[in-house]
Amino acid sequence: MQPADTTVAVLDPSAAQAVTEQPAQGVERVMLAEDKLPVVLAVVLVVWLGVLLLLFRTDRRLARLERQLDDRDAPRS
Amino acid sequence: MGVPGPMPAPMDRDLALPRYGLAYRLFGVVVAVWLTVVLVLGILGPVSNLPILEHTARNLYFHVPMWFVLYAGAVVGAWHGGRYLATGRTVHDVRSESAWMVSTVAGVTALVTGVVWARFTWYQGTGLWWSPEPRQNMVAVQLLISGAYFVLRGSLDRPRQRARLSAVYALFATATMPFLTYVLPRRMASLHPGAEGNPAFSEMDIAADMRWVFYAAAVGFLLLGWWLYTQRVRGKVAELRAEALDAPALAPPVVVS
Repeated sequence: MQPADTTVAVLDPSAAQAVTEQPAQGVERVMLAEDKLPVVLAVVLVVWLGVLLLLFRTDRRLARLERQLDDRDAPRS
Repeated sequence: MGVPGPMPAPMDRDLALPRYGLAYRLFGVVVAVWLTVVLVLGILGPVSNLPILEHTARNLYFHVPMWFVLYAGAVVGAWHGGRYLATGRTVHDVRSESAWMVSTVAGVTALVTGVVWARFTWYQGTGLWWSPEPRQNMVAVQLLISGAYFVLRGSLDRPRQRARLSAVYALFATATMPFLTYVLPRRMASLHPGAEGNPAFSEMDIAADMRWVFYAAAVGFLLLGWWLYTQRVRGKVAELRAEALDAPALAPPVVVS
């Protein structure tokens, strides 16, 4: 006897088909092209933007620190 | 200055850095845009799509520039090591160490990306992660030499002695680099272009479509390496300046109560 197929209760195959069989349009048409390579690009760009955010914030923090040190240095020279 | 007492040499000249003003901020924006374009072209652009390599040919844009950063960082580290020995100015020690750090991190990145790349191309189906690729082995040796720089620094307490010895070490370690990673691997059978005496990156080695993206990626990652290097330099110099400013407060004043 086969075990009860519980997935049917959760996911109606015909409904799932209806979702996947929609022709790609809009952003999907772009993202699904070329073995979905654009999805890789989107992920990499998000990571890269995060790295850039940290780089620019570090720059700003360093500039602030340098100004503070210049101010503290000034009375001595 | 004009402050009498047991103060060490004036720190301002010893730690003098250029102004990191508007030009530097613009530089950051240029690098950000440049590398973003490289990422877009590198991932979406046309590739040679040869058997075995397939889409992994795109790794050329990300794996190889790491080597350039490794080399450039080591050369800058050795240069400032030499400058330190010539001038004795602390800023050169800071620059040497920072460049060495960027270089070593790029080297580890390059080695790991190379291992992963080879595992799923030439060594697919063999289960070999560590392939008998000569350049890979030689670079592992080189990275041990590079890593020992930080062990050396960590083992010395006196700043002047630490700076002097690590400057000499950086010069020697950089001198081994071309032999270990360039000359020797070319004398052996290797996956890399340029093995067995051929020049690398000739017309045969790199498809015309990929050439310009590769050049742009190399420039972009070198600039990124320089950005990271300046950030480390600025941070370390700020730390040393703060220490120098705090030092007189720690020392007891001349007035005795």
